[in-house]
Amino acid sequence: MIKLDNISKIYRTKTIETTALNEIDLHVPKGEFLSIMGPSGCGKSTLLNIMGLLDLPSSGNILVDGQSLKNFNGKQLAKFRNEKLGFIFQSFHLIPDLSVIDNVELPLLYRSISAKERRSLAAAALEAVGLANRKSHFPNQLSGGQKQRVAIARAIVGKPDIILADEPTGNLDSVMGDEVMDILIRLNRENKTTIVMVTHDERMAKKTDRLVRLYDGTQVA
Amino acid sequence: MISNYIKLAWRVLGRRKFFTFISLFGISFTLGILMVIFSFLQGELGNNAPNSNKDDLILIETLRLQRIYYDTIPVVDTVMLNGQEIFDTTMETRRRGASRWNSSMNNGIAEEFLQDLPSAENVTIFNGDTQHDVYVNGIKLTLQTLYSDANYWQVFDHQIIEGRTFDDTDMENVAQVTVISTKTAQEYFGTTDNIVDRELLLDGTNFKVIGMYQDKSKIIPFISPDLVIPYSNMTLANQDSYYHGYFTTVIQKRSDVEPDVVKNEILTAATMIPMDHPSKPEGYNEVILMAKTYNEMYAQGIYSDDDASKSLNIMKWVLLGLLTFFIVLPTLNLINLNVSRIMERSSEIGVRKAFGAHQGNIIFQFIIENIIQTILGGILGLGIAIVLMKFINTSGFLGTNTMVFNTKFFIYSFLLTIVFGVVSGFLPAYRMSKLNIVNALKENKI
Repeated sequence: MIKLDNISKIYRTKTIETTALNEIDLHVPKGEFLSIMGPSGCGKSTLLNIMGLLDLPSSGNILVDGQSLKNFNGKQLAKFRNEKLGFIFQSFHLIPDLSVIDNVELPLLYRSISAKERRSLAAAALEAVGLANRKSHFPNQLSGGQKQRVAIARAIVGKPDIILADEPTGNLDSVMGDEVMDILIRLNRENKTTIVMVTHDERMAKKTDRLVRLYDGTQVA
Repeated sequence: MISNYIKLAWRVLGRRKFFTFISLFGISFTLGILMVIFSFLQGELGNNAPNSNKDDLILIETLRLQRIYYDTIPVVDTVMLNGQEIFDTTMETRRRGASRWNSSMNNGIAEEFLQDLPSAENVTIFNGDTQHDVYVNGIKLTLQTLYSDANYWQVFDHQIIEGRTFDDTDMENVAQVTVISTKTAQEYFGTTDNIVDRELLLDGTNFKVIGMYQDKSKIIPFISPDLVIPYSNMTLANQDSYYHGYFTTVIQKRSDVEPDVVKNEILTAATMIPMDHPSKPEGYNEVILMAKTYNEMYAQGIYSDDDASKSLNIMKWVLLGLLTFFIVLPTLNLINLNVSRIMERSSEIGVRKAFGAHQGNIIFQFIIENIIQTILGGILGLGIAIVLMKFINTSGFLGTNTMVFNTKFFIYSFLLTIVFGVVSGFLPAYRMSKLNIVNALKENKI
């Protein structure tokens, strides 16, 4: 599904060169739930951003379904992200001025879908995360766990093949964290959605199919 | 998608109330003031009664007598010819300066030389410089009196409310009649009803009122005098000379003729004026009739230049400059405000891009938001303009002249505000649309 081929990411300033990722080779097969762990600053989020085409590697190649994305322009990358990928962020990143259902609809705005269909898909996604009764609320009226469920609904509304989650339970207490994790596992099992999750939580990582460990930008396990 | 953007724009405007107030104030105030200024200028310079023929009027307020001084300069030089030094002297004549005597013209000049211009449809002669003090119940009233010929009523289409205007017979008979404005009627007689046949005492002479016209307060006195009297009632013998006197001539040209054609005809007519009259001051050898269009005359009143067309050009540039200033300043202000407003939403931009928005989507979204904001500002501006005009009209700042709301100008102004909405939104939106997604998400303001 996703294949990272010798990926490196180096940040350069005038005086310092920092290697965030060092020649990473990683293959995530379709339907796998993969977790990435490592200490802070080891390059987990950078790796996830590169897999999500939010950032470009300094060298190496990314292949999704065997297709290299090296020569994609900005518009093509945007389309690819819209159709194939869904994101869940640690701090939710919901738009405060939009209602819950409008937030969930967001990825569909960039597709040729009627407003009616958009509405019904967003309602179904909210139903799937158990928040159908909260669609008219605004983010500031929700708890942390509810916000993350809205974020999950937003990630799945476009039925992407891959979900990339950056510490989705990082800002939640253990009960809410478990709830969110259960939803992700269900998505993975029932819909065969490929999920790559960055986490600090060993307990959560153990619930996934495979664990990759990073240390100083290098894959160690 | 657009409905989503509109919804978001509405909520963003509501969330940032102070910012919204500042932005809307800038837009609406600018638009409101522009509409009031335009309405005033339209009232003053528009083709409306009694000045409906404004674009066809050529005015001669000044007759110039001129003499030019010349210097003869001998240049003495020597050359060697066949070994002998000889003088080679040349004489050069240069213009050193001119003496000019400007004054209004004698009615005789107008009657004799300006009545039959080929491109003229009508010609009127008048004196509009006279003021009379009259007393009503012991209170002084200063009246702006216009002495004119009968043609005045054809050139200037005053709305006659009662009675009639005077005609050539009244002129010839030196009839002591007057046509007064509604304002004068109200102030002098205390009413505007049944004014005809009443008498108005001016400088010891009773003038019979034969008509009354609707007053339109304008800055130019001859457009809205307080009363009009046949000029044959003036003591014309007191005029300075054959050339100079008390009168202004207004030529109403045929509408199919360019003003310059008439101006040239006037120049030619001036050459026919004899320069050997005994009243001509010594040395003056040229007479020039200073012709100008109505707009040129108006501009000359604001910026005086010998060349009226130059005055008009300068006034046009000044107006254009003011208009640009009024538009550019709030646009820059909006751009500035929008940069900070959009910067605050960088993490939203990051999320949108992560979920598939490309640069064009982001630009479009913020431009839509800006257009909504400027449309709101436009509607408020319309309200401000209407309230200001009503205030000015009821306060009497412009006398009886009233400001009229101009729908066409409002539409133009409204389109203009949308344009500056787009412009002021585009630059910051373009800048932010290029934001790196990861950096944008790190802002984490949502």
